[in-house]
Order: sequence, then structure tokens, then C-alpha cells
Amino acid sequence: MTGNDRSTSRPADERTNGDTRSNTASPAGDRTRPTDTAASDPTAKPSAIHGEALRIGYPSTEEPVVTTDRVDVPAGEVTALVGPNGSGKSTLLKALAKQLEPEGGSVLLDGRDVAEYGPKEFAREVGLLAQENEAPGSTTVEELVYHGRYPHRGFFEAVSTADDEAVDRAIDLAGVDHLRESPVSDLSGGQKQLVWIAMTLAQETDVLLLDEPTTYLDLRHQLQVMEVIRELNAERGVTVAVVLHDLSQAARFADNLIAMKDGAIYDWGPPRKVVTEALLEDVFGVAATVDGDTPEGPTITPHRPVDRGDDES
Amino acid sequence: MAEASGDAGTTETTRPTLRDRLRDVVALVDGSLSSVALVSTAIVLVGGLVQVSFGTYTMTVGQAWNAVFDPAVWSSPGLLARLFLGETIAGWLAGHFGWHLDVELAHETIIVWNVRLPRVLVGAFVGMCLAVSGAIFQAVTRNELASPYILGVSSGAGLAILLTLVVFSGMATFLPAFAALGGTAAFLLVYAIAWQGGTSPVRLVLAGVIVGTVFQSLQTGIFFFADDVGVVQSAIAWTTGSLTGTDWEQVRIVLPVTLFVSVLALAGARQLNVLLLGERTARSLGMSVERVRFLLSAVAILAAAGAISVAGIVGFVGLIVPHMVRTVVGSDYRRLIVGCLFVGPALVVGADVGARLAFDPIQIPVGIVTGVVGGPYFLYLMRRTRHLGEL
Repeated sequence: MTGNDRSTSRPADERTNGDTRSNTASPAGDRTRPTDTAASDPTAKPSAIHGEALRIGYPSTEEPVVTTDRVDVPAGEVTALVGPNGSGKSTLLKALAKQLEPEGGSVLLDGRDVAEYGPKEFAREVGLLAQENEAPGSTTVEELVYHGRYPHRGFFEAVSTADDEAVDRAIDLAGVDHLRESPVSDLSGGQKQLVWIAMTLAQETDVLLLDEPTTYLDLRHQLQVMEVIRELNAERGVTVAVVLHDLSQAARFADNLIAMKDGAIYDWGPPRKVVTEALLEDVFGVAATVDGDTPEGPTITPHRPVDRGDDES
Repeated sequence: MAEASGDAGTTETTRPTLRDRLRDVVALVDGSLSSVALVSTAIVLVGGLVQVSFGTYTMTVGQAWNAVFDPAVWSSPGLLARLFLGETIAGWLAGHFGWHLDVELAHETIIVWNVRLPRVLVGAFVGMCLAVSGAIFQAVTRNELASPYILGVSSGAGLAILLTLVVFSGMATFLPAFAALGGTAAFLLVYAIAWQGGTSPVRLVLAGVIVGTVFQSLQTGIFFFADDVGVVQSAIAWTTGSLTGTDWEQVRIVLPVTLFVSVLALAGARQLNVLLLGERTARSLGMSVERVRFLLSAVAILAAAGAISVAGIVGFVGLIVPHMVRTVVGSDYRRLIVGCLFVGPALVVGADVGARLAFDPIQIPVGIVTGVVGGPYFLYLMRRTRHLGEL
């Protein structure tokens, strides 16, 4: 692992003295930062989920795929995991979502090891939307969203009014009310994704983890999905961690970025600190110009791939 | 928010009322499901009446109807208890409530109730068991070509049948139990082979194929040691599935299994629906996927074993019935299971009419008829439905 020093916690805040957030906090006026005053002291901002001394791998791999001393998903904020293909961002997300048990270290939700949570109990706290999802052909949107209530219902329990209300809220927030009775198989890719997000929203969790929710969507639906996520975060204070393929999109929408390279965290912090020309060259292997002064977050203009010898993408 | 136990319940204050539950039930029954139920019930009734009216003593359908619904039987709890619950329980109940166990009955009524009706009833229950079992396995393995026998059950039961008939012929009375046990043992073996810190649908199906191949070979091998044509015919009847000679004894075996399994399958329908969303989604929704999968498989195995113990290995029912129902009512398992409970009996009772009467006086195993009818129907489904590829 190169850059062991960089994989330790909060380098972006450490490298700059003083308040890193206050001078960048208002590029997009719609972003709410509930704990702005604590920005200069990163340890004061509590993490919804954090990982300690993580070594994450699959049964089929000898070496761990992801190693990191510390990873934080700050409560009430949107955190985006970015990095090239194979950098381990989805793997890290799976470990945070309790889908993959780390080989070493632990993931803690509100300070408690996720291994101690029962499956349904955890699913009431943390929602996860996988990258690709498949529903049986004739399932209607409403039926699918009702499955989001699974962790709230006992084995023999019928639907309660709380379930109905949660489903209505989820469908409303995802903006799929007009599709309610349609079979999921009749929907476009973008509509499907919004419906799946609605199902995850119906879980009514405080934390939401999403694995590349925009990757295969057209631009309009990509923006729609990101809007829903921002709205969820702003209105309900839901903590979001999202793996994004598109660095520009991540820079625009997220409060924090976690940039990953070769299974380690290369850098993390607010987009304006993390997205630099050096990062694009080191992590993504791209020569690019970064304009950090635009109101919508840093703008990236990629030029050409950099020859790195060990090229993989 | 952190609660002591994960699965125990929810943090919500509003709990479902009786009205909510009723609403859930009513919401399930829509037009398509009720027409499936009506048509199937009609087929079972017609098939059943044909079955009870033909035979060495032939009566008209009207006579058969009168015999089936003979008030002398239906007004005698003692007699009904003796038939459905057995001599021992009925005797105890009769002593307790002052019922009469023996009632004077018309000749037709005796023939219908004592000889012919049990076969129809067993056929209906076998149909329910196999259809529900198949429906569950199709969700558990996420494979629409799954049948109750996909995880080695048929080959295990078949081997047990052959062993009992040929090698341990002294224990032939225990054959139904051995068949069911053989099937269950094979299923457990399949699960053990597929288990590697967890299972997956693909590994389960592959392990099923492996165990099936080995057991099938052994079973075929044992045929060569059978020295009697009667034994071979009996073995074939068992391994293709037959309702010939079924009696109230068989009704009393399969009825409780059917009731138990139906209740569990209906209760588990929501689990099956969530399982169909894929393992990852099910897990992220808080399902203990391995546990649910094993328990649902166990329910399905129990259903299949119940059917096997009274009728042998009737093929195709568990495969095609869920398909037929799915094309009409959709893939929601709450509706699908209910549909299966109606269509399964319709298929088996209908096929058994053919098995018993088509080549009269020779009776062929009902499994042959379900295979002959089921195969082409499946082909028709495949041609007609464009998205048969998706569950």
C-alpha cells in the first residue's frame, strides 16, 4: 500500500489549518449544514457509521481488497465514495452495510459494532440499495415499495397504518406516485431506479447506502435520483453514503468525498479540498484542469489519460 | 433506537388491527384469482363425480352426486370422524360426545364413501401438496424449472422405495414412511453438499443434480435384482406415482400434512416474495436469508414427502401448476399459493380420471398421465408466454 499516511483519518482537514468548511460551505445555497460551527474540529462531528482498522476481502481472495485505518460517514451529510474501477469503493460500502463481514477491524453504527445488531434491527437503521436489482415481472410499484417495510413487520404481522404511511411518504418523495399501479417490468431504467429507491426509503432508516445508483441512467434520471437523495438528506436529515462513478457529479452533490485508490482511502473531505488536479492524476490517471471557484462545486475538465505503467482502466 | 433483540418486533406504536388483516385478505382475492378458484373447483367436482360413478358397479352421475352428498353421512359426526380421523380418535370422540360410529347407509353411498371417494380426496391433497411444494422451490432456487423434486427428493424417495421392495421386502408395510424419509434424507444431503458457509440457488440445484444422478443410478441398478414382475410393477407404480388402491388410511396421512403445509406456505408467502427480489436485497431488508431459505425448503420437502408417502412420485404437477397459476394471477406469492391450492387438485384429480378409466380395466399410474398432459402444456406455455425467462 502506497501512501499509508494518507489513508489515515481526515487528511483533508488536517492538511489545511483552520476552518475548511466555512469558506466553501455555501457554494450551493440549498445545502444545509446542521453543524457548521463544528467544522473546524472534525472530531466534534459525530459519525453515523465509521470503520476502524478495516481489512475487507472476499472468501475467494487471498489479500484483503480494502484496507483502511479509519473511515467516517458523518451523520446528517451526504458522503460520496469515488475512485476508479476496482478501487474497492463498492466493497467498502458492502462492509459498511453489514453485507460483508470484515476480515479484521470493525464497523460501528452509532458507536455500536454492526455485528451486534440483529438483521431486522440493522435494516431498520440502515438501508442499502444494491447496484443492480431485479423484481419479478408482474410486481407492481406499490407492492415492491411495501417490501421496504419488511424489517418493520413480524412474521405473522399484517400491514399496519404506519406501514401505509411510510409507503406513501416514500413513493411521494421518490416522485413515482403516477407509477403506483404499474408493473415494475414495464418501467424504464430510470423509473425502475427511482422505484427501488422508494422501496429503500420505505424502510425509513436514518442511514442510507447506495451503490452506484446513477450509473446506467440517462442524464435526466441521474439528476432526478441525486435530487431525491439531497432532498431526503435536507428534509429528514438522513445520512447518505453513495458510491458514484462520476467524480463531477459526486463533487456537485456530496458534502464529503472519500476518494479511493487500490483498496485504500487516498483522501477525504469536502469536494473542494479533495478534488484537485493531483488527485485526478494520482487516483484516476487523468490529466485534468479543476476549477474550484464555480458555484456548483469544483468543475473538472479532463484532458487525457496519464501513462502510469500499471494502467488498469 | 438500539433494541435488545433484532427480530423481536418493531418500534412502531400502531399495530395492525383486525380490520387491517381482513383488508389484507380481501385485497388478495381479485377477479383472476377467484376465476382460477372457481374453474378449478368445477374441474375437481366433475372429475370427482366421474370417478365415483364409474367402476365395476356403475351408477349415474346423479346417483353419484346423491351418494356423495348423502345427508346420512354428513349428519353423522361419528362416521365422518371415523373416516377422517381414524378408528381410535373417532372411538374416543364418540365415547365423549355420544356419537354413533356406524350408520345405516344406502348401497351407492357405501361404495362411494368407502371405496371411491378416498381416491379423489387423496388425489386432491396430493395435488395441493405438490403444487405448493413446487411453488416454494421455484422461489427458493429462483429457478422456474424447479419442481418439488429438484433438490434430490424424488431420487432419494425412489431409492428408498426400491430398497424396500427388493432388498428389505419384509418391511413393505413401512414403504410410505421410508419413501418420505428417503426423500428428506436426500434433500438434507443436497443441502450439506451445497453448504459452504452458506448456500446459493445455483449450488443447491447443482448439488441436487449430483445427488439425483447417483441415487437414480443406484435405483435403476436395484431393478436388476428384482426377481418378480409384481415387484417391478409395484416399483414402477411407486416411482411414477399412482393413486390405485388408495384408501381412507392415505387420506388420514396426507390430510394433516396438507393443512399444515398450506398454512405455513400462506404465512411464508411474504418471505417468498422478498426472497424473489434476490438474496442481496432480501438481506439488506433484514431477512436471515439462509434460515428462511432452509425453513421454506423444509416446508416444501414436508409437502413433497407427504404426497410421496401416499401416491409415490407423481411428476410434473409441482412443475407446471405454479406456472399455470402464475400466468393468470401474477408472481405475487400470496395469490400464487392460494391459486396452487386450487389448481393442483384440479390437475391431479382430472389426470386420475384418465389414469383409472382411459384403459379400463387396466389402470395406469396417474404420474404417467400428468407427464403426458403436462409436457405439451408446458411447451404451449413456453411458446405463448414471451417472458417465461423471468420469474
